[in-house]
Amino acid sequence: MVGEFGVTKIVVNGQQREVKASPDTPLLYVLRNELGVMGVKFGCGLAQCGACSVLLGDEEVRACVTPVAAVEGKPVTTVDGLPARWAEKKGLAPDPQRLHPVQQAWVDEQVPQCGICQFGMMIKVTELLEANPKPTDADIREALTNSGPSPHLCRCGSYAAILEGAHRAAKLMAEGGAA
Amino acid sequence: MSAPIDIHGARLSRRAFIGTGGALAVAVSLPVKASATTAPASLDAAVPASWIELKADGTVTIRTGKCDFGQSSVNTAYRQIVAEELCVPLSAMTTVITGDTDRTPDGGGTFWLLGYVQNLRKVAAYMREAALELAADKLRVDRKALSVKDGVISGGGKAISYADLVKGQDLKLTIAVEGELTSPMGLTVKGEPPLKPVSEYTIIGKPSANPMTRPKVSGEAVWVGDVKLPGMLHARTIHPATLGSKLVKAGKLDGAQYPGARLVTIGNLLAVVSPDEWEAVQAAQAVAAETQWSDWQGLPGHEGLADHLRSKADWTKFPSRDGAANKGEPEKVPAVREHKASYFLPYHKHAPIGPMVTLADYRPDGSVTLHTLSQNPQHLRHMIAKMLSGGEDKVVVRTYPGSGHYGRSNGGSAGSEDEAVLLSRELGRPVRVQWMRADEMQWTTQSSCALADIAIKLDKDGRIAGYGAEHRVPPMQDDRLVGAILAGLPVIDSPAPVTKDPFQNGVNEMQDTWVYGNVPAVREKAMSTWQIGEKESPIAVGLRDHSMRTPIQFQQNFPRELAMSEAAMLAGKDALQFRLDHVTDPRFKAIIAKLRTEAGWDSRPSPAPGARASGKGVVKGRGMSIMLRDNGYWACAAHVAVMPETGEVKVERMTMVADVGIVINPLQLRRQIQAGCLMGVSQALHEEVSFDKGAITAADWASYPILTMAEAPDIKVVFETNLAAGNYGQGSESANALAGPAIAAAVLDATGKPVRRLPLRPEYVKAALA
Repeated sequence: MVGEFGVTKIVVNGQQREVKASPDTPLLYVLRNELGVMGVKFGCGLAQCGACSVLLGDEEVRACVTPVAAVEGKPVTTVDGLPARWAEKKGLAPDPQRLHPVQQAWVDEQVPQCGICQFGMMIKVTELLEANPKPTDADIREALTNSGPSPHLCRCGSYAAILEGAHRAAKLMAEGGAA
Repeated sequence: MSAPIDIHGARLSRRAFIGTGGALAVAVSLPVKASATTAPASLDAAVPASWIELKADGTVTIRTGKCDFGQSSVNTAYRQIVAEELCVPLSAMTTVITGDTDRTPDGGGTFWLLGYVQNLRKVAAYMREAALELAADKLRVDRKALSVKDGVISGGGKAISYADLVKGQDLKLTIAVEGELTSPMGLTVKGEPPLKPVSEYTIIGKPSANPMTRPKVSGEAVWVGDVKLPGMLHARTIHPATLGSKLVKAGKLDGAQYPGARLVTIGNLLAVVSPDEWEAVQAAQAVAAETQWSDWQGLPGHEGLADHLRSKADWTKFPSRDGAANKGEPEKVPAVREHKASYFLPYHKHAPIGPMVTLADYRPDGSVTLHTLSQNPQHLRHMIAKMLSGGEDKVVVRTYPGSGHYGRSNGGSAGSEDEAVLLSRELGRPVRVQWMRADEMQWTTQSSCALADIAIKLDKDGRIAGYGAEHRVPPMQDDRLVGAILAGLPVIDSPAPVTKDPFQNGVNEMQDTWVYGNVPAVREKAMSTWQIGEKESPIAVGLRDHSMRTPIQFQQNFPRELAMSEAAMLAGKDALQFRLDHVTDPRFKAIIAKLRTEAGWDSRPSPAPGARASGKGVVKGRGMSIMLRDNGYWACAAHVAVMPETGEVKVERMTMVADVGIVINPLQLRRQIQAGCLMGVSQALHEEVSFDKGAITAADWASYPILTMAEAPDIKVVFETNLAAGNYGQGSESANALAGPAIAAAVLDATGKPVRRLPLRPEYVKAALA
């Protein structure tokens, strides 16, 4: 199958990439296996949990059900690309130590338990905060439950921590980012 | 130093002077029997397998067979405990190596972590004592005049750091242990070195962030599913149609459509592999659709489960166990009033967000390395060797961060590990088996269902005169490798009255410690039976069960605590005061009283004013539960809103009060309690494993819903350290179990009617209120 379709050109975390996989291959497998972008995790393959979320432009999509052909022309951001996304938005010089404020808030508030769902949680919260810099508790709950293809699920029960993390991220973003 | 020095029974020796570097490392001294059996690969007493290593640069490395499943204890509490006992700053604890069977010395399961940590605590104490001996020798100061602080030993006007003490030395401290490395419980330190007095603690009790958080959220951490090996194949297993089906005919693999894919059949184990993961997924789906399995209908179906437990399951083949606090004859005690009822819990899934995945590399010399996620890698190693009829020295298990699964692999296996090994052996290439969501839901173990009969007799004053309980729970420590079963290869025993290793024994104990010391007559009984469907299944599978968070205690505490709330209502007493009247332990009295304040508990009998079981609109109520687990005292209150017309239950807030003894890390404990509680709310509101006559039908998040963020209640967590208790308190497990009975009691308070089962889904609540 590989190669017979030519290449699909996509932009991942600010970089132009050429993909050989067949155009119907879910973005999840392309990112992880062909491009080595691992900050997107397999959860259900059914768009039911959110572990594989990426930003397509400014909108969260589920990489496990999005064919790679569908992302041609719009930039893809995974958790791995959040620091660069933030640096670009704020015109900051590259700094490998600097995390995106959402990631920094997740560290500061010690949000994850096992952490597998947090890749999608952080993507969804980034989407929310870029559109709504001062969300209420209800806004955050709504975003992580009803605004996407499915609720973002956490089995460990880190929802209370996520709420605190999201508010801290909003504060960090308002202040211009992580120290 | 030519002859070894005795350090409280441990042996300190200097093997050589070396030019640069240097270390004090710990080796384990095994009983002859154990060392003769197996496992030299990870038991070399040389430095790489050392429990704790004190290096010449002043840093410390810990090696433990326990793994982190997200509660972070091995990365936070373990560092703190070792730093405290060694008397070094926390910043010196630079490295924690976990789980890998060739790089950690102790084995055992990842559970009871603050109990198991006594091993490391003792090792650290031995090292501190050894260092003091060395320092006395080097400084020419009497040992008794020396003390240690922040990694520096001083006394008699002289001082030397640990780092300088070990510089240029190759020091080995050999300590005696007991147990067998690859047994489920692993090794235990035998001796009793002097421990640092709790009153001198400076590191334990302080908040400590998890060093794994940053690499996880930055995307830098390598997760179990991220490992790649040259030439590896991606595999998808095609599991049987039912839990008792045999392969009749494998579907045909369309080579034109899937040119890179290959079908592998090993007994009833069927898989498709391909270098391309998406091709493996698609080809496996196509083959699965055409594959024929024998029919099997040996399960009662989830609607018939309670009846099955009551009237069909045979509870006579496993010896029952009496509660440790049994006294008197409650059945003969006269009663003014009596509460008698049965309670039911369905099966729950561990349901990790990430399905299991393992990469195995079987090599021509018969050795194999597994890259996987396991709470008990050494016992997994034992089981893989057994499956292959080979030596444990041929098996290495490497572990990585992965999706939490709450006890499912505490005996070693959670699924996929054995399949990856067998496929790699078959194909001569590294094989990565990724289970799909449906495999994860339908081919893993579950947390046992339960049926309990409770009888509470009240005297004329409304106090309990007698308490009787019979708990029927299928056993839950099935650690067998399911892929090996399908392939027809050797596995360990399934839970039975007698098993080769007692860890997998199927006899149930009363795990829910009796806490109502003022009750004059108590008779509790724990019963067990064969796992449902296992004996009927031609492949000996059926509904396999495995421990989850508070195993057995979850199943016993729900009926007890809900029945206590019902008995309080029958007595016309406030449920909180009723408990206070019956507990004797002052620590319980203290936390129950604190719960009253912290939860804003309105003291009055149930039902609530305005309670009703029908009609439109919302009624509100509150309920509570208590538990004693691992010397931790817990009390929980739930506030709920119920819509009687629809049966909908909304949990508005939860309050958790705990006295766990010595708090190691308040930061992580708070997070553990919050999360454990929310998982408990999820189980209480949503979770039930559906199954028909042959198969589990809960296959995804639509058919096995869990709590969403919108439904998550506010949580208040209250605890403080209790140094006088002397023991290290455990974290989130109790919080998990307490939610269900508190929420069910709150529904009772709001409606005046009991719902004596979980989950509190609208259809069940509505039926109970009718």
